[in-house]
Amino acid sequence: MTTTPIPFDPRTLRAPHPVPGAPDNWRRFFTFNTDAKVIGIQYIALALLFLLVGGLLAMIMRGELITPPADLVDPSVYNGLYTMHGTVMLFLFLFPILNGFNNLLIPPMIGAPDMAFPRLNALAFWMFPVFGVVLMASFLVPGGPASSGWWAYPPLSTQNPLGLLINGQFLWILAVAISGVSSILGAVNFCTTIIRMRAPGMGWFRMPIFCWTALAAQTIQLAGLPVLTAGAVMLLFDLSFGTSFFQPEGGGDPMLYQHFFWFYSHPAVYVMVLPVFGFFSEIFPVYARKPLFGYHVVAIASFGIVFLSLIVWVHHMFTSGTPQWMRHVFMVTTMLIAVPTGIKVFAWLATLWRGKLWLTTAMLFAMGGVFNFIFAGITGIMLATVPVDVHVGNTYFVVGHFHTVIFSTITFGVYAAIYHWFAKFTGRMLYEGLGKVHFVLTFVGAQLNFLPMHWAGLMGMPRRVASYDPEFALANVLASLGAFLLGVAMIPFLLNLVSSWVRGARAPANPWQAIGLEWLLPSPPPAENFEHDVPTVISGPYGYGLGHPLVADQERYEARLKEG
Amino acid sequence: MADSLFSTPAALDPTAGPQGSGAAGSPEQGPGHGSGEHAHGGYNLTGFVIFLASESLIFAALFAAYIVLKGSAPLWLPAGVEGLEVREPLINTIVLVSSSGVAWLAERALHRRQLVRFRLWWLLTMAMGTWFVVGQAREWLGLPFGLGDGVFGACFYLLTGFHGLHVITGVLLMALMLWRSFRPGNYDGGEAGVTSVGLFWHFVDVIWIVLFALLYLWQGR
Amino acid sequence: MSASGSTASGSGPSPAPGSGSPGRGGPGIDRGAVLLVTLGVGLALLASRWLMAQVPRWLPPQASTAAPLVDDLFALEVGIGCFLLLGCTAVIAWTLLFDRADKYDRDDGEPIEGNLKLEITWTVIPLVVVLLLAAQAIRVNGQLASLGGKVRVAGAAEALRLVGVDGVAGFPGPTSVQSSHSSQSSQPSAAQASRASRSMSSTGPSPGVGDPAAELGPVVVIARQWSWEFVYPDGVRSAELHLPVNRPVRFRLVSLDVLHAMSIPAFRLRQDVVPGSVIDYRLTPSREGRYRLRDSLFSGAYFASNQTDVVVESAEAFERWRQAARRSPLAPSPNAATELWSQRQERGNRGWATVPPAPPPLVNVPLDPEAAHEG
Ligand code: HEA
Ligand code: HEA
Ligand code: CUA
Ligand SMILES: [Cu+2]
Repeated sequence: MTTTPIPFDPRTLRAPHPVPGAPDNWRRFFTFNTDAKVIGIQYIALALLFLLVGGLLAMIMRGELITPPADLVDPSVYNGLYTMHGTVMLFLFLFPILNGFNNLLIPPMIGAPDMAFPRLNALAFWMFPVFGVVLMASFLVPGGPASSGWWAYPPLSTQNPLGLLINGQFLWILAVAISGVSSILGAVNFCTTIIRMRAPGMGWFRMPIFCWTALAAQTIQLAGLPVLTAGAVMLLFDLSFGTSFFQPEGGGDPMLYQHFFWFYSHPAVYVMVLPVFGFFSEIFPVYARKPLFGYHVVAIASFGIVFLSLIVWVHHMFTSGTPQWMRHVFMVTTMLIAVPTGIKVFAWLATLWRGKLWLTTAMLFAMGGVFNFIFAGITGIMLATVPVDVHVGNTYFVVGHFHTVIFSTITFGVYAAIYHWFAKFTGRMLYEGLGKVHFVLTFVGAQLNFLPMHWAGLMGMPRRVASYDPEFALANVLASLGAFLLGVAMIPFLLNLVSSWVRGARAPANPWQAIGLEWLLPSPPPAENFEHDVPTVISGPYGYGLGHPLVADQERYEARLKEG
Repeated sequence: MADSLFSTPAALDPTAGPQGSGAAGSPEQGPGHGSGEHAHGGYNLTGFVIFLASESLIFAALFAAYIVLKGSAPLWLPAGVEGLEVREPLINTIVLVSSSGVAWLAERALHRRQLVRFRLWWLLTMAMGTWFVVGQAREWLGLPFGLGDGVFGACFYLLTGFHGLHVITGVLLMALMLWRSFRPGNYDGGEAGVTSVGLFWHFVDVIWIVLFALLYLWQGR
Repeated sequence: MSASGSTASGSGPSPAPGSGSPGRGGPGIDRGAVLLVTLGVGLALLASRWLMAQVPRWLPPQASTAAPLVDDLFALEVGIGCFLLLGCTAVIAWTLLFDRADKYDRDDGEPIEGNLKLEITWTVIPLVVVLLLAAQAIRVNGQLASLGGKVRVAGAAEALRLVGVDGVAGFPGPTSVQSSHSSQSSQPSAAQASRASRSMSSTGPSPGVGDPAAELGPVVVIARQWSWEFVYPDGVRSAELHLPVNRPVRFRLVSLDVLHAMSIPAFRLRQDVVPGSVIDYRLTPSREGRYRLRDSLFSGAYFASNQTDVVVESAEAFERWRQAARRSPLAPSPNAATELWSQRQERGNRGWATVPPAPPPLVNVPLDPEAAHEG
């Protein structure tokens, strides 16, 4: 589409989104561009940069933890590092990168030209560098960055030892608040787009699972973020304006903050994992050459997860003095999540079963991710069991559990998505060879890094410590080696991304013979996708082996791709 | 921050607002393209309702905090404070709540294309909102306790302040709509802007009713 | 294992019978497939059993009555989890081995879109499994009965008044001015105290210390940045927690600053210490030895070194210890945080901001930082 150069059109920057055929110019990635595909790439690129930052912090942490005493950095510095590691990874890597995929995938998948509110979309994106800078700036203020953990539990987080108004914790709250606003704006946009802008014929049950999971995840954002915002505002007031919402001396209650925080931050883990469930559900049918098993149930299960996710938050507070009955109620609701999640997992396995597997890098990451997820889900159920959590809660068992989800499942899923859709949105193929090296190193590194953590936790090693008793040394040496291996694994990945984008082979419109509206578009798609020639969807999204077309007049769309 | 959220879709996106078209509605593209469910004009309201639903949860959270703290805090009213004076806030409340009716009259007038009448009712709504804010400010100035006086002080100022911000936002948005009503042909594409602001105003009023009940009517412990 | 046994029909390699046989033998359930699945399930059960038997090797010694209960529950979950994981992994491995497309084969697989029976099976089985697990966990939790009530207080001073402890080192509260805990002058806490005794199941006016038949306690646990202090009912103060074996003990947990948690891995027990609340907690040590007691809820710069030991000893040894303690004068206990802090000052106070450590506790029995612990 964009092979013939077209003179620069000044309307590009002012129109709601660039007019079709806008110059394929890298500069647009640094502007207030309103094209969802540009915004998507902006999100993903910046988020990957922050993955490096968060990963670098993790490398220093693992360096500190390779020996029992706190010898590499001062304990106070270690605390800041892990706080910032968690915050960067969640708010500057994971949420943004998933929003990037929402931007890239939702409009083409449903046949919309763009998001419902393109300018709002750009605004939401540009808040991301703003809160990124705010958070990074907190490394430079006197006293250092926030160092009360990513939970920022008061009264610790409101202690403010230097007594300055602008301190690390203050900037941290500010960054999280801006991030929340940005996410709410994004959520309004994504939901409106999915609800209102689907192609003709695309009823709810013809929508790709990724759109289902994105809608589910954004619903959680809309329900949960306001509560976190309320908590954050109160925390900010306590920190900076001397109120006592959470200060016992004034009659306040630190427990209240915990409820606010987890009411959002528990569901937030499903905000992160649901889109990845979407990736898996898109990727398995393509590379197993089979329809997604049990499409309807998999779609609906997403909302089962949404519902349950909103009523389980107290499982993070089992030992906070929560009354017994409440612990029991929340234990049961938490465990019930295994049911809708299990439905999805089994559906993926059944999709693989008797398929014709293509072991591309995307497929390897997806299969590896599901394997890790089953493991992590089972440790999740253990944590949900009150008496077991009483022993292993706040130990490295938890750290092991959630890195197995958040890295070994979610980040794996993100990698899978990158390998799967890179060609579509950049127009270039990634090198499969480097991709497989990346996969092997990452898979081995992740197991080596996160498995021993479970063991350390069972023995009683608390999390968030800069030094520890010698009996935990072996587990930590292994974990650190695994972590460094993960650092090495980034090299082939980055090399692949950069060199492929610069001079990789040109991608055909549909390199994986995949079914889906986005694959009926050229690679990369033009600014407004189908523009005003939106196809009418006439069948479900995963018709592999069924032989019926996805849209009316499919031949015409396919023919057009060939001549493009 | 909630306010900039609201104004963004209308203020930043020239294709949004009362003109109505949501997505790819550059005029030169013309109507009649084949995207069925992708119709023009309706997204703003959809988006706005979603946003309001989300926004209401901030208040729900703050209310929950108030109720929990009031029910469990070992210290509540600051030393020397008996409770809140109800009379003047009650008058303010009546003004604010009835302004919702006035706003409705304005919307109805607009619907009937009685532009002048619309502006008058709309202006009156704004005046009543302003009255409320001024009344609130006067109450704040006269109170014997401050933000730092225990949980009660913190809750009181946070709740009323956060609501007050919404009232101010509402008035500003109404001013914007008023100003726009002078643009020729402003309502040719529908009244989504005024409808949204009207909705926002009713929302702010309902929140206040709950807030008033919680803060002023439920004073015993 | 009964629960995991019943999952056999739904989660192992058993999607096979529903969607065709696992072999390449065509549709229908053939004998080979049944045999293979049975064999697989059998192996998975054996592997799960074996893994369950490994559980004690991953855990510290069982030093309280809670430990065996918790460990059995955990082992049960390990068994079920192992079985599930093996089942799912078997499917993945099978497809990796036998369902790969040939290099130039671009055909589609069998277009199976779903199977209602199978889907119901794999909804119901996890449901039943987790409900059974939850029921078992609730039972165990009832047997532990460790968590008592809690009373809200307005800050540390009131908390100390409520539990009747004064003279805490360097603590600026009004308690240090008050003469003794028998004084009735603490007016604001009168109402609190009555609330306390209602929700905290008190054992009568003079709680047992010397009487080995009665519950020991309440032992007041004072957590702060960054030290532990234990105050016995007879006024003995210690930086180590000494407990007689096999005798129930009751605690009252007080934090003077931020959140902490008292975690004793060998006991399998952990409870947060919440500022603004006084929390009632009980447990029964069951094995003599010296174990770690750690702060396990992040509490700031020197969180990692905020640990001490629990010494579980025979009734006689405990009594001897108590008598000796009563005779020893109050002295500051060695404190890791204080040392680290002064080292930091010597190096020019580099590092990121932190509040300075509270003064080390004034105790009859100081902490022995050198003693070896068992878990
Ligand atoms: C990001 C994604 C993510 C996901 C998806 C999950 C999923 C789950 N998590 Fe996890 N969790 C985190 C991220 C995540 N978690 C993080 C970040 C923390 C720590 C935060 C912090 O403290 O800093 C945490 C902490 C955490 C705790 C608190 C521990 C503590 O601090 O003491 C608990 C306790 O209940 C828990 C439970 C669960 C459960 C039950 C699930 C379930 O959803 C899992 C369901 C999945 C399965 C069960 C597997 C598939 C199902 C089957 C194969 C069916 C059959 C299964 C059975 C019958 C069991 N998690
Ligand atoms: C998306 C979320 C995410 C991800 C991907 C990760 C990834 C990793 N995490 Fe993280 N982690 C969290 C979220 C995440 N983490 C959270 C929320 C916490 C809790 C914080 C808290 O308790 O408050 C936590 C806590 C946490 C701890 C516990 C700290 C403690 O309790 O004391 C540890 C310890 O090992 C750890 C390690 C790692 C490692 C080794 C990785 C590896 O996977 C990282 C792999 C490395 C890379 C991907 C990049 C490598 C980069 C380079 C080699 C340098 C290049 C750099 C530049 C050019 C700038 N993490
Ligand atoms: Cu053009 Cu919609
Ligand atoms: Cu959770």
